[in-house]
Order: sequence, then structure tokens, then C-alpha cells
Amino acid sequence: MNFRLNALTRSIYVFHLSSGSCNNCDIEIIDCLTPRYDIERFGIQLVGSIRHADVLLCTGSCNRQAIVRVQRLYEQAPKPVFVVAFGACGSSRGIFRDSYNTVEPLDKIIPVDAYIPGCPPKPEAIIDGIMKLIKKVRGTP
Amino acid sequence: MTIVHNLFFFLVFPGFLFAAAIGLFAGWIDRKVTARLQWRVGPPWHQNFMDVAKLFCKETLIPEGCSRGLFFSMPVVALATATLASTIVAMANLSRAHGFIGDFIVVLYLAMVPSIAVMLGGAASGNPLANLGVSREMKLVLSYELPFVLASAVPIIKSGYAIRLGEILDCQIRDGAFITSPSGIVAFLVSLLVLQAKLGFVPFDVAEAETEIAGGVYIEYSGKALGIWKLTRAVLMVGLPILVSTVLLGGAGLPQYFLILVLMIVIKNTNPRVRIDQALRFFWGPVAGLALLAVVLAMIGR
Amino acid sequence: MSGKELIAGLRERFPDKVRDIFEKSKTRIYATVDPGDIREVVVFLFKGLGLRFNIASAVDAFDAYEILYHFAEDSSGVELSVRVFLKDKNDPHIDSITTIIKGAEWIEREMHELFGIEFDGHPNMKPLLLADDWPKGVYPLRKEYKVEQRDDR
Repeated sequence: MNFRLNALTRSIYVFHLSSGSCNNCDIEIIDCLTPRYDIERFGIQLVGSIRHADVLLCTGSCNRQAIVRVQRLYEQAPKPVFVVAFGACGSSRGIFRDSYNTVEPLDKIIPVDAYIPGCPPKPEAIIDGIMKLIKKVRGTP
Repeated sequence: MTIVHNLFFFLVFPGFLFAAAIGLFAGWIDRKVTARLQWRVGPPWHQNFMDVAKLFCKETLIPEGCSRGLFFSMPVVALATATLASTIVAMANLSRAHGFIGDFIVVLYLAMVPSIAVMLGGAASGNPLANLGVSREMKLVLSYELPFVLASAVPIIKSGYAIRLGEILDCQIRDGAFITSPSGIVAFLVSLLVLQAKLGFVPFDVAEAETEIAGGVYIEYSGKALGIWKLTRAVLMVGLPILVSTVLLGGAGLPQYFLILVLMIVIKNTNPRVRIDQALRFFWGPVAGLALLAVVLAMIGR
Repeated sequence: MSGKELIAGLRERFPDKVRDIFEKSKTRIYATVDPGDIREVVVFLFKGLGLRFNIASAVDAFDAYEILYHFAEDSSGVELSVRVFLKDKNDPHIDSITTIIKGAEWIEREMHELFGIEFDGHPNMKPLLLADDWPKGVYPLRKEYKVEQRDDR
């Protein structure tokens, strides 16, 4: 595995992007940083600025106002960047599928690399999703 | 030959490569101890190196409306001056006869340049949140430079008004480290608090308040430029503690460096972040008063 | 003031304007008012009895629009909901209570935007929640709005 891939998957800066969520998924993200699960031991850190991000963790079902903004944020992240659709809302809009305000699921707006289903996903599911993303990026099965 | 020698000292040992490596490792110690104090596991030993390596593998985005010259030159300026300061102090420890008169003052100036570079780089970003971080950093620098300079006057006075690092070290080796005297203890305490602010550690990391102002001064930096800022932080994390331990603890060996590192980590983990006005009041009030006390004690010979 | 005292006060002040006072539980009271009398009743509740305006809610109840104004009595925990039926579904309008209670401004904007209810005398009727490119005259929370008619991007 070349050096670049190695570095990209051993040090992951996560930017948390909520496009209209109910905040349960947001709480579960913070939950992963607590001592019980501690994802910092995998080299994962939450960052404040989109320009420092390697992974965009998108919660919330993208509503109409958020579409343009999510696209702009995706363009502002320095490549290579990976997008993780978080929760049922991020994966497919969940129960908001038939709402007047959510027109498209997230993967029609920005390219998504991994999905973590759940409402909200348990931290074990989140860690499993991250591992799947890392394996996909590295190209190992 | 001396040019090659000096380049070696500046770039390899005890300059850039050495200081960056030790600094990144010390940063890892900080993260690991913090994690342990929070009953977590913490990152592996190579984490900080991987962080910097990854940042150099990403693209560097240039925000619209930034002034490119300042934006890209400031990280390099900061890294260069931090490395230079660290090299001078480390060389003074390695061979006390060398150095030049006034090199202590030069190091004090050089140690201030990275903060100014941070301010200019943040201002060049063209982002209102970065401007907020810049104004906070400016106020912080204005507040902690006063007690720092006062505390730096203490070793100068106690070593018979010598302003060469090698001479100050000689005095300490002859008579005992300055920290064993009352003025030395007070000056060490003041220097420790100022070090916390200079290195951007909690409780004084208002300029780069991650969740509050989305990264503050570093908000628009990405990729290689951000990597250079992280290296600057790492080099400063070596240079500034060994400066303090050279002039107050009688030399910069491993135990003295570890002592300062441990004290900084303890302060970091037991305090929340303070507001900028609280930091200003703190440094201009009690800390400056303590520094003045240290100077007075030194002048009356204690 | 307890629920009983609240109901007694209402009955005394508005013997015929406030109808169908229904006490669902000790802390939950509903009352029905005509749309034309809403301002009087709100002035009495807000200024006279000192209740706190909590929120308003609207629903498309098939033959009318139903707006509920929820008032809270904080010392006893009683919630009083004043119900208004807007029978004309083609042109629903009611007096705005924003000039009495400043906090009602945004919820009335929201009800206007999502239902099309006109609030006469509202000082600042601007769009609040829907996206900027939402077509005018389409009110999503009405029963006649079908999800299939939304224009997917």
C-alpha cells in the first residue's frame, strides 16, 4: 500500500456537516469520542473548518435550502475527501422520503463513499462503517 | 566549511529535523496523557507524524479574495524563525562558548515572530472568522509579552547582566540553577504560564478555538500550508521549553524538558478555555505583578 | 391560578364568545372562539390573566382550517388552547395577534407560508422557512398538496 493511502487512512480529520438533522445522529457522533468507544485511537479527530477535512460526515436529510450549501461545502473540502452518509436520513432520507422539502437523497447531491444506516446508528455501527470506508479506500477487501 | 556546518545545525541537528521530530513526539505524549486522564486509550505513537504526512499529501486550496503572497509566505516565515530560535538555544546548550552577545534577546524576538506570522496569515485569509481569531491572537500576544520579558530579565540580572545564553548557563553551572532562588521560582512560574499561551494550549487557545470559531486563524489553510503550521507548532514545542529551562533550570536536558512538558499537560487538562478578556486581565494583572516581583527580588539579590 | 379558576374567569368575562370549554385533564383545557373575536380574547388572556403565549399550531381539518393558540399558566402548569375554525378554505384570514404579542410574529409567518392563511394586520409578512425558489401560491401543508406534484430538481 503506498505511502499516500497509508497516511490518508491513518490520520482522518472528520468534519461534521448537518443538513437539517434532528440532532440525534449528531449526538451519536460525539458519543464515539467518549471513553467507552474512543475513536481517537484510530487517528480520527473532529475538526472545525471544512478546509481541514478528510471525511465529510453528513447527517440529516438534505432539505431544499441545504442542497446548494452542501454542494458548496463539498467543493470547499480539499481533495481527496470522502463522504459518509450518516443515519437513515443521510442514506435515503428515511421517514422524510415523502416530504415536500426533501427532494433528493444525499447521494444524488454529492458523491457518497459509505453509508452508515441507523436511526441513530449505534457507535459500534459507526466504527464498523468507518472500518468499511478505510478498507474501501485502501482497496483491500 | 562553516556554512555547511551551520546548515547542518539549522536543518538537521539540533535544528529542523530534530526539533520537528521531538516536537511531534512531544505532541503525541500530550495527546496520550490527555487521553489516559480521560480514561481513553489515545492515538498510537506515530499519530502526529501521520497527521503531518497526510496534510502534505492533500491539495492546498487558495480561497478567493486572499492575498497570496502573505497567505503562503507566513507559514514558511513562522517555521524558519521558530527553527532558528530553537537552533540557537540548542546550540548554546551543546557548546556554551559559542553564541554571540545578545543572542538571548534575539531568541526572544524570534520566538515572537511566529505569533505575528499567524496573525498576518490569518488576516490574509479574507475570512471574517479568521479576522476574529487574528484580533484575539493580537490581544493575547500584547498581554503575555510583558510578563515574559520581565521574567526574562531575571536570569539576566542574576547572572551579572550577561545577555549571552552561554554565559547565563555558565553562571548556573557554577552557582546552581536559578530556579533554586526565590526570584527564580517566581520567574519560572510566570514563564510556564506564558509558555502555555505562546504554544496555544488550553486554557489560552482562544485564537484557534476549534468549535467556537471553526479553527480561527487557520480556517482557510489546507494541505501543505496547514502541514507547515503544524510543524511550526511542533518546533516551538521544543524550542520554547528548552529556552525556559536553559535560562532558569540550568540547562536543557531530558529531565528538565519532561518536567516542563508534564507541567504544561497538567495545566492543560485541568482547566477550561478562558475568554480573551479574562486572559488579558490575567496576564496584565496577577502574572505581570508576579513578574515584577521576580525582578525586584532578583535586583535585591535573592 | 388553577384550571378551574381559569375556566371560571373565562366564562365570566366572555359568557357567549368562548364556547365548548373542554377540560381534557387537570392541566389541559380547550376552548373555541370565533375568528372575529380572537383579538379580544387574546388581550384578556395575555394582559388580563397574565398567561404566557406558548406557540400556535394549525392543521387542515378537511372542512376548515383549525388554528390553536396555546397559552401556558406557569405557576400551576395548566395549558389553555384557544381553537379557531376558519371555514372559508379559499380565502382564510384572521386578525393577527402580533401587535398584542410580539412573539407571535414568526409562527404566524410560518402558518401563512405553509397554509396560505392571511393574517390581517401582520407587520412583517415575509417568507420564513421555505426555500427561496419555492413557487408562490403552493402551500405544502394543505391537504390538496400532493407529494407527487413537487418539482424534483
